[in-house]
Amino acid sequence: MTDPLALDPVLPVRERSERPWNLDLPHDERFAHFEAHVTAGGKIEATDWMPDEYRTAVLRFVEMHGNSELMGVLPEREWIMRAPTLRRKLALTAKVQDEAGHALLLYRVAEDLGKSREAIIEDLLAGKTKFHNVFHYPTHSWGDIGIIAWLVDAAAIVAQQALRDSSYAPYARTMQKICWEESVHIMHGRDVVVTLVNGTAGQRDMVQEALNRWWGPLMQMHGPRSDRAKDRDLHWRIKAKTSEELRQEFLAIYVPRIRELGLVIPDPELRYDEAAGEWRYTEPDWDELRTVVTNHGPRSEARLEFRRLNRDETRWVRETILAGSPAVAA
Amino acid sequence: MTDQHSGTLEPYEVFRQEKEGGPMIHGGNVLAPDPELAVHYARELFARRSESTRLWVVRRADVHVLDDPDLLDPPLDRSFKKPGGYVMRDKLAAARGRAGTAKPGARAASHDTTGRRTGKTG
Amino acid sequence: MTASTALAELLLTMADDEFVAGFMDSEWTGIAPILEEDVAMSSISQDELGHAKALYELLAEVLDDGRDADAIAYDREPEAYRHARLLDRPRGDWADTIARRFLYELADEARLASIGGGYAPLADLVAKLRREERYHRMHVLAWIERLATGGPEARGRLVAALAGAGEAAATVFTPLDGEADLLRAGILTRAFDEAEAAWRTDLTRVLVPLGLDLPPRIEHGPDGRAGHSDAFRWLWGEFTSVRRSEVGATW
Repeated sequence: MTDPLALDPVLPVRERSERPWNLDLPHDERFAHFEAHVTAGGKIEATDWMPDEYRTAVLRFVEMHGNSELMGVLPEREWIMRAPTLRRKLALTAKVQDEAGHALLLYRVAEDLGKSREAIIEDLLAGKTKFHNVFHYPTHSWGDIGIIAWLVDAAAIVAQQALRDSSYAPYARTMQKICWEESVHIMHGRDVVVTLVNGTAGQRDMVQEALNRWWGPLMQMHGPRSDRAKDRDLHWRIKAKTSEELRQEFLAIYVPRIRELGLVIPDPELRYDEAAGEWRYTEPDWDELRTVVTNHGPRSEARLEFRRLNRDETRWVRETILAGSPAVAA
Repeated sequence: MTDQHSGTLEPYEVFRQEKEGGPMIHGGNVLAPDPELAVHYARELFARRSESTRLWVVRRADVHVLDDPDLLDPPLDRSFKKPGGYVMRDKLAAARGRAGTAKPGARAASHDTTGRRTGKTG
Repeated sequence: MTASTALAELLLTMADDEFVAGFMDSEWTGIAPILEEDVAMSSISQDELGHAKALYELLAEVLDDGRDADAIAYDREPEAYRHARLLDRPRGDWADTIARRFLYELADEARLASIGGGYAPLADLVAKLRREERYHRMHVLAWIERLATGGPEARGRLVAALAGAGEAAATVFTPLDGEADLLRAGILTRAFDEAEAAWRTDLTRVLVPLGLDLPPRIEHGPDGRAGHSDAFRWLWGEFTSVRRSEVGATW
């Protein structure tokens, strides 16, 4: 077969369609073309040229997302063993499996941007990179499993849906797949919570107590309000919405659904301000958020240590399949 | 057992078919040390919800890419290659006028889409 | 013993095997050696749990004593579980898991291949189970081969794991009290000792080319499916803990 590139010299040089940043131009011109494309809503593929600033920003964003999925496995996996019915056990196993699968898909995106999975996990375990605040907390009861699957996943999906239109196309495509899979988690979580509120007094207490503990971290989860103009991730359209927009969206959908069940949200200030068209709430504890995401949360160190130990114990398996054993004649 | 244990993790691109007879669509990729495990992992990542009827798993290094617009979308007119390049509604009307014939009904629609849209069963 | 009592015993042993195997394998969820295997092992454990669920549902119909599949699966004392001693071991390392799954998957296939049409609902279910079990065998065979040929450490661990399973390996074929009734009713097409012989042939085909030893032949005794380990008592304590916290509640 003829190598198509060998034909290049005989073809007239023509401006290469609409992706001029891929041409061999001075850096500033490339940058300008790239920026104009991205800020106008254009998409970038892994094979495109991209400025280092953009590559680093996407990588950091995707890496933290992948880390959060990987660490998010741990609070829930403790309850796979304790799931009280066969169906719940199947659903919870499938949910935790999805999180491992999502970590994998996201790490693939990061790997194609130039950072190996090995390096990503080393940095995570060394405390050099972060994971989401909600995965630094302990779980106490089956009520936590309902609240995490319903509300933590709902808060996450609000953010993830906004990422389906990310300027970085491999990430956007991955988010479409992830959002499709996560929608089932929310159904599973809501079903657990509804079953508990319809159950015994002990079960109702269990789920209310879990909500009381998780509400603070949930309100912190999207992060403090930020200045839209200064947010580079927004500028590059890596993400589409500010922290506050995501939090408002979460509250708008989920406050009514939580209250519908007779559960009490532990924030006396929480109300919808008709005039302003937004939800008012007690200012979340941003000090707590900073403490927690810098790995000083109640379970941060224990979970990282668990992963380190597990990684050491299973290292021989990775080395075995990577070492390249001679093919066996059979 | 004939698979090669290449000893390094490599990306494999995964194409999936959603239903029998449908097109193979790119689903994503997996990293695996050899083709056998690549197929296993592709199953886990792109078919564990019964969302695929067939997977193609291809070593990324074996994918030959052609994305040169000069080759794929040449600048000069290629309308003679496309149905839309043959608009003869007015010429047909003129011919009917000369011959004194009427426009045939929908049942007479043929494979060409000349001058109007044909029904799916046309 | 009537055929229906014997059928109940067969269903209970099959269901308990899949239930405990599924629990052990699900312990890898989120912590397998590589992320791809997290996802794969989790699928396998979900399949096993799904098989246990279907078998318990069938058993609930046969027993017709008001208990549903969950009540049978969860609401028993540890002694009443009838899983094989092969599965009555702590999870161990990846080699233990692969060795245990290899011995069990092939034994399960030999058992499923012994189910006849005598009880149609079971025959129908078994046809479905066998389709899902194919992937389990593909997966475990890929790993047996990789560990056996993957250098001294991997091979050493695999050899130790297979030896560790040792005398428990064949306990899936612990004879059932009602085996003769099941054979007469056509629910079984061959006795468990014949199934065990078929299993040994399958094991030989894989282990001998890899230079690995077959598990020892044993005299089957009453403890093949009884006298459970501390590992199982711990597991039982875990998996019943939420359910026991509000007895009789809906979850």
